[in-house]
Amino acid sequence: MAGTGKAHLRDTDDIILRVEDLVMEFPVGRTGLKVNAVSGISFDVRRGETLGLVGESGCGKSTTGKAIMQLPRPTSGSVLFEGNELTTLEGQAMREARTRMQMIFQDPISSLNPRRKVRDIVREPLVIWKRGLPTEQLDKVDALLEEVGIDPQRAAESQPHQFSGGQCQRISIARSLVLDPSLIICDEPVSALDVSVQAQVLNLLEDLKAKHGLTLIFVAHDLAVVKNISDRVAVMYLGKMCEVAPSDVLFEAPAHHYTAVLKDSIPVPDPEIAVGKVAIEGEPPSPVLPPNGCRFHPRCPAADERCSTEEPQLREIADNHFVACHHPIVGGEAPVAVRSATSPVS
Amino acid sequence: MRYALTRIARFVFVFVIVTFLVMLATRIGSKDPIRDLAGGQVSPEVMAKVEADYPYIEKCEGALAYLPCMGKQYAAWTFDMVRGEMGYSYAQEQTVGEMFKQRGPATFWVGFWAIIIGLLIAIPVGVYSAYKRDSLFDRFMSFGSFATLSTPQLVVAVFLLYAVASRFDFFPNLWNYVAPWSSPVDHFKNFFLPSLTLGIGLGAVWSRLLRADMIMTLQSDFINLARAKGVSPNRVLWVHALRSSVLSLITSVALQLSGLVSGAVVAEQFFGVGGVGGRLVIAVQQNDILIIQAITAVVVAVVVIVNVGVDLLYAVVDPRIRQARALG
Amino acid sequence: MSTQLQTSGRIESGTLIEVENLSTHFSTPRGVVRAVDGVSFTLERGKALGVVGESGSGKTVLSRTIMGLQPRRGTRLGGSVRFEGKEILGLQPKQMRGVWGKEMAMIFQDPMTSLNPLMKIGRQIEEPLRNHLGMTKDDATATAKRLLQDVRIPEAERRLQQYPHELSGGMRQRVMIAIAMACGPTILFADEPTTALDVTVQAQILDLINEQRRERNMSVVLVTHDLGVVAGHTDEIAVMYGGKLVEKAPTRRLFAAMKMPYTEALMQSIPKLEEPSHTRLATIPGRPPDLVNPPVGCRFSPRCPYASDKCREEEPPLIPTADDPSHSYACWYPVGSPEYLEARARLDAQKVKVA
Ligand SMILES: Nc1ncnc2c1ncn2[C@@H]1O[C@H](COP(=O)(O)OP(=O)(O)OP(=O)(O)O)[C@@H](O)[C@H]1O
Ligand SMILES: Nc1ncnc2c1ncn2[C@@H]1O[C@H](COP(=O)(O)OP(=O)(O)OP(=O)(O)O)[C@@H](O)[C@H]1O
Ligand code: SF4
Ligand SMILES: [Mg+2]
Ligand SMILES: [Mg+2]
Repeated sequence: MAGTGKAHLRDTDDIILRVEDLVMEFPVGRTGLKVNAVSGISFDVRRGETLGLVGESGCGKSTTGKAIMQLPRPTSGSVLFEGNELTTLEGQAMREARTRMQMIFQDPISSLNPRRKVRDIVREPLVIWKRGLPTEQLDKVDALLEEVGIDPQRAAESQPHQFSGGQCQRISIARSLVLDPSLIICDEPVSALDVSVQAQVLNLLEDLKAKHGLTLIFVAHDLAVVKNISDRVAVMYLGKMCEVAPSDVLFEAPAHHYTAVLKDSIPVPDPEIAVGKVAIEGEPPSPVLPPNGCRFHPRCPAADERCSTEEPQLREIADNHFVACHHPIVGGEAPVAVRSATSPVS
Repeated sequence: MRYALTRIARFVFVFVIVTFLVMLATRIGSKDPIRDLAGGQVSPEVMAKVEADYPYIEKCEGALAYLPCMGKQYAAWTFDMVRGEMGYSYAQEQTVGEMFKQRGPATFWVGFWAIIIGLLIAIPVGVYSAYKRDSLFDRFMSFGSFATLSTPQLVVAVFLLYAVASRFDFFPNLWNYVAPWSSPVDHFKNFFLPSLTLGIGLGAVWSRLLRADMIMTLQSDFINLARAKGVSPNRVLWVHALRSSVLSLITSVALQLSGLVSGAVVAEQFFGVGGVGGRLVIAVQQNDILIIQAITAVVVAVVVIVNVGVDLLYAVVDPRIRQARALG
Repeated sequence: MSTQLQTSGRIESGTLIEVENLSTHFSTPRGVVRAVDGVSFTLERGKALGVVGESGSGKTVLSRTIMGLQPRRGTRLGGSVRFEGKEILGLQPKQMRGVWGKEMAMIFQDPMTSLNPLMKIGRQIEEPLRNHLGMTKDDATATAKRLLQDVRIPEAERRLQQYPHELSGGMRQRVMIAIAMACGPTILFADEPTTALDVTVQAQILDLINEQRRERNMSVVLVTHDLGVVAGHTDEIAVMYGGKLVEKAPTRRLFAAMKMPYTEALMQSIPKLEEPSHTRLATIPGRPPDLVNPPVGCRFSPRCPYASDKCREEEPPLIPTADDPSHSYACWYPVGSPEYLEARARLDAQKVKVA
């Protein structure tokens, strides 16, 4: 998977965000080593589209989301958002651009200021940006709260901890909408919620998206959730892009071995489907010293010599279906790869 | 390494600020610092000698010249201190160094035993009150520490002096310095009451802090796991829970240290301990400037060094801190 | 390959735990919280029971109460818990010590906070070994190493010397399992053991628990809010709602013929991989019941699409189904009943009208 390449980038007028060769590295203490959190990924999002971003913990999903917001600025690469190159934008222009995109986080309760009233929390961005008269601001806030299903009256009187997790997530969604952004980056917005509340929040996001003409980037590790909400899904592994495809196609016929593993790991709510053997052993290698070649090769069932030396590039294997793998799974069958005699280190 | 350097820089900064402020205080209220140093109304010859001994001490005047003039004096004083010359007290006819040699150990032991007594009270009381929260024991101890905290040390000292010391012949009427190694019993007789005066207060504060921290710790998941493993309640309490609460206890011990100094003054005065605190009081009354400066310098240095030690202790107790430091 | 410490001589089948009319009530300033309210069930040796329900339904309190780990302050317990025929509810921690760790073990939800951050992994595993089995230091260390290998932690020897923060979440959860397995317990409570973990790691951990269960003929109580998690890893499922058991059935049976509208709603709210993207998810309207003033009648009635006046007045008892005594439910108009079908048809008609 450790794929690079840009075959999957589209060239239409309605591209709202285009990320190219995004790299984000963090120093490890003063050891001179660095964490390769994101190592050269590219993708684009159309206006009104929902892009799902999946991959296991630590693969760089949140880092990608934050790098788009320039929080912090990426080590290198380009982020073109609504015609502006964000990586070089400074000062006021940068701040303006940031209001056009918002982020929602995983932990709904701790991302809200515990000491303030909920209505004020939602209103705050309007106050900072001096948008409208106070009465107009309040009207807007109340309308939004109403829309996400929070009683404005109660919001005016209560602090975040007086609401449940699902309600807090609704509140942070309302806050993210208050400046009329065009892009919302949702970083695991439902991971901390239980299934029934998760369904409510997912439906809410769909409704709001239609109503406000939003574009979403939806980060999660639950594939079923991502499939439900996304139009297109990008699979990440250890800072690289493995596979990009329309969501129905991706889960119908995963071409990358890692995507297949992810798919097999999902607990299926059906006891008739026998639980197979664990889909994969071991844990992802350290992003400090990522493997050469395809970054997935030490855990990949189809890896051969080539995988450990040559990095695969994203290429189109079917209409609109891109994969970065030397031996992709086609038609549900993996090519029989000759495993190298030296078995990969786990 | 960088961690150690920033720490040292910070401590030097604190040291300089505090000692400089103390020097300012000794000068601002004084009409004539040389005369203060010489010990008040003395003959012109003595004045001349003092002036010759300490040519850098002068009265600073003028709004603009004031700070530079003080700065110069501070620099000269620091230079002396670095060379180990803490100065001479003409009033006491003794060098400051001698004074420390004579009186320092007494103050050290009072403080040391006070901390030990404080911990001996705080640890069992804090741990057990947290374990038996809202029990009779907890309520009684909570009331007890509240009462102790709202009683000035003065009152505790008076109580101990009249209710204990004067009733039992065991405690000497006249305080006398005895090193613990020359006679442990006599050492105890001389040091117990002054240390207790201080230690009770410390124990009261620390037991409350420890109780609060332990209550939090006892609710954490890893304590539940320890119990679910079948670890004995005592072990859960004293090994698992106390160890993680001990960090906050160490912090409060370090924080209380400067408070200990003022407490030591009271305790020394009451029990006639021939310690540094008693001398500081006299020095302040006489504005014996070099003694004041030297004592505060030593106190600040001790506080600062203890804080460094506490920082090191953190790393010993908590492996996460150890790792963070090794990296940072 | 595994540490068969206590397994020999263990009775192979029969009832292990009988919970009868168990209740756990908390006195709070707001009033009495009925977190667990009259729950009864039995669990056989070697079987796995899934406890499912939304957040706040009392799953954690239930498992902690059975284990006797629920803090006593402001807590009122009722009913009975018999473990191997002996009543254990309300025993003092001192009396439970021999049971905890040795007979009953627990894995907590959050592997990040459940290990003692100041103690080496090795010592944390050795503790119960030395405590319960009286092992010497060396024996305990050797066993700890073998336990780590059992839960497939590479470089076990080195891990013993590490602190929890040096391990990833999945590794820590494995350490927790190793600790739980240390003395070969007869029953393992796993309280959302994988909620904090990735799907791939989740699959590994669930598999590991299942494997250890089979190897040791241990019973497992698997607590979760995700029906998907229990589907492949349990023999039976108990569904909790508002502190009550509302449905209990063998796993296959439950999925094939669920009776309780709440179970149905829970099932429908899960996004499924087979469905096309942007499929509208079914949601449960309203909010979980307030456990201080629970709704009169069926606790689910305020949110139930099929509720009638009877539901709002009379509480449905937990009764077995006609065709399968091992499947019981608490509902007046269960899925498939004439009233249900009627209400269903009515709702569908409404939906058509709205659309
Ligand atoms: N500020 C930082 N300093 C150092 N390393 C970082 C920093 N932020 C992230 N990382 C590292 O970069 C990698 C990617 O992290 P990131 O948070 O993007 O992962 P993620 O895919 O969002 O994972 P999760 O599902 O756990 O949220 C991880 O190895 C992480 O430890
Ligand atoms: N010590 C306590 N005092 C008062 N109320 C409590 C206490 N412990 C739990 N509760 C309440 O009991 C109810 C059941 O809690 P419990 O933790 O068992 O839920 P759960 O089903 O495990 O939920 P989750 O999925 O969020 O873990 C909740 O409403 C909770 O607020
Ligand atoms: S008893 Fe009535 S309210 Fe309760 S679940 Fe059944 S139909 Fe719904
Ligand atoms: Mg993340
Ligand atoms: Mg719980």
